[in-house]
Amino acid sequence: MSDGTPTDPTSEPTFATTSTTTSALRCEGLTKAFQGVHAVNGATFDVPQGQITALIGPNGAGKTTVVNILSGSMKCDSGTEYLGEDDVTNMESFEIARLGLMRTFQLSRELGGLTVLENLLVAPKLQPGESLFKVFFRPGTVRRAEQVNVERALEILGTYGLYAVRDDRARELSGGQKKLLEIARAVMASPRILLLDEPMAGVNPALIERIGGYILALKAQGVTVLMVEHNLNVVEKICDHVIVLAEGRTLATGRLSELRANKEVVRAYLGEVIDARPPS
Amino acid sequence: MTAVWYYVFTLVFFLFDYFILAMGLNIQYGETGILNFAYFAFVAVGAYVTGAVSLPNSVGTGQHYIFGWGIPFPFNLLMGGIATSLLAVVLAFITLRRLRTDYLAMVLISSSLILYDICNNFVPLFNGADGLYNVPPPFASVLKLTTNSFIPFFAAVTGVIALLMWFVMSRITSSPLGRTFRAIRDDDTVAAALGKNVFRGQLKSMIIGSFYAGIGGGLIIQFSGSLNPTAWLPGETFVVFAVIIVGGVGNNVGLLVGSLLVETLLVHLTAFLPAIPGHPGLIEYIDAMLIGVFLMVMLWFRPQGIWPERPRQSATMVRLLGKRGPSVDEARVEADVSDVALNDGSRG
Repeated sequence: MSDGTPTDPTSEPTFATTSTTTSALRCEGLTKAFQGVHAVNGATFDVPQGQITALIGPNGAGKTTVVNILSGSMKCDSGTEYLGEDDVTNMESFEIARLGLMRTFQLSRELGGLTVLENLLVAPKLQPGESLFKVFFRPGTVRRAEQVNVERALEILGTYGLYAVRDDRARELSGGQKKLLEIARAVMASPRILLLDEPMAGVNPALIERIGGYILALKAQGVTVLMVEHNLNVVEKICDHVIVLAEGRTLATGRLSELRANKEVVRAYLGEVIDARPPS
Repeated sequence: MTAVWYYVFTLVFFLFDYFILAMGLNIQYGETGILNFAYFAFVAVGAYVTGAVSLPNSVGTGQHYIFGWGIPFPFNLLMGGIATSLLAVVLAFITLRRLRTDYLAMVLISSSLILYDICNNFVPLFNGADGLYNVPPPFASVLKLTTNSFIPFFAAVTGVIALLMWFVMSRITSSPLGRTFRAIRDDDTVAAALGKNVFRGQLKSMIIGSFYAGIGGGLIIQFSGSLNPTAWLPGETFVVFAVIIVGGVGNNVGLLVGSLLVETLLVHLTAFLPAIPGHPGLIEYIDAMLIGVFLMVMLWFRPQGIWPERPRQSATMVRLLGKRGPSVDEARVEADVSDVALNDGSRG
């Protein structure tokens, strides 16, 4: 288990781990290039266990690419990724998901032809009903598992305010509902770690409040959250820890209040509005 | 039996047989999103294997083929289905691991052409371009069936098999496995992010669909007693695609409607029409054009098909699972309804 210190601190001079808690997720020296363009260029950071961590940075900093790599949707060119103590570098997406790391997408990706309820029912891992043998020769086991899953999915839909649209096809939902559905679907899979890629993007202020509440509730249940987010008010309110990414590298980590005093972070991302504030 | 009844029972046979074939392609394409343009090659392999294992030893028959074990119905049919499923495993490992959508379709159609060339030119395998013939009709000697009485008998047998296979397919598509197939179809990246092994899911779908193709093909050769390679060029695959697009992608009942309209009425009805004097074969060309026009009209005006896939309603799900209802209390539901107004933007 990582103690929160990168193995080679000299490779990331601005990297400073402030947390003394254990890491739920750790990456070291991740790189990813697209036809010679380095989208991720040595990103190294820890995601503390049981906390909400924000991954911020300017557009093109490589945040979504990092999320794609961490979730297995994309392979990295070099570097390592640890989920707890397990090296999961370049494992398949479904294998990482089965280890308890779930994700949402920057642009909502609902399973459009399925109903809202079915979107949730897909999520539980290794269901007996996914085995052809059990469908025909263990129907009781399949039915009991399905009963539990349906009941739990309806509960989650109730919690996330989607119960009324449970029978609608997911493609018919509004943008905000799709954001909620993605989070609810990930929750249905009982994640240990949840990667949220811009969960507040394009949603109204009331819904931002609600989504923030849901994320805090997940934290209270012991789920570790890493979220890409541009809304600094949200980051300030709900995030315990912030990682700043710029040009594919980890620029700094810490609490947002600390980062506001960091000139490199201000120059790269926070900008003049924050820069004009007196240092806290 | 009069010519009319001969004709009617032949149509009935093809109605049920293409229903089976459509169910097989539907689980691959309609449920899992695999664009299998080689589908009729699987049908042909099923037909050839069924025929070749049920024929006697090839020595002295005037034909050249492998097997020749004289295996009776329905075991020969099962062997055809299993052989086709094994072919699906091989092709799936070659194609599905790396290829998606249009590239997958191109490689599969190329595979079907390679298989066609092998069967057409390598005579020791399945008698080359002449194909297999004199395949013994099932139960004909036991039940003392004549050529005329065999046709309604076998149409009924095919109907029973189709009903059984529809029951099996319905169990699969309504199970969590079917739901996983549809998740892969809708977005394989999301399905993988939810812990689903996409390749394994696609492989299962290919095996199940190909088994159906093999059984459907086996029934064709048992019904007609012969088959040659020209009967399974890629164009035939598009007839099965037309069946599921017209009937309704993802709906097993719709497939029966599609089979009735496309295969029974368009393809085989016209085959029984008298030839136009001075223009032999013209009806077949008109037939192909009619299918194309029908397909275009459907895709333009009703792309979901006549009997489209229906969303699985939660109430039905809860009832089938033997529960009285969801445990979500009324207050929460009421709060939920008001929450819907909070969401931003327009629907869509």
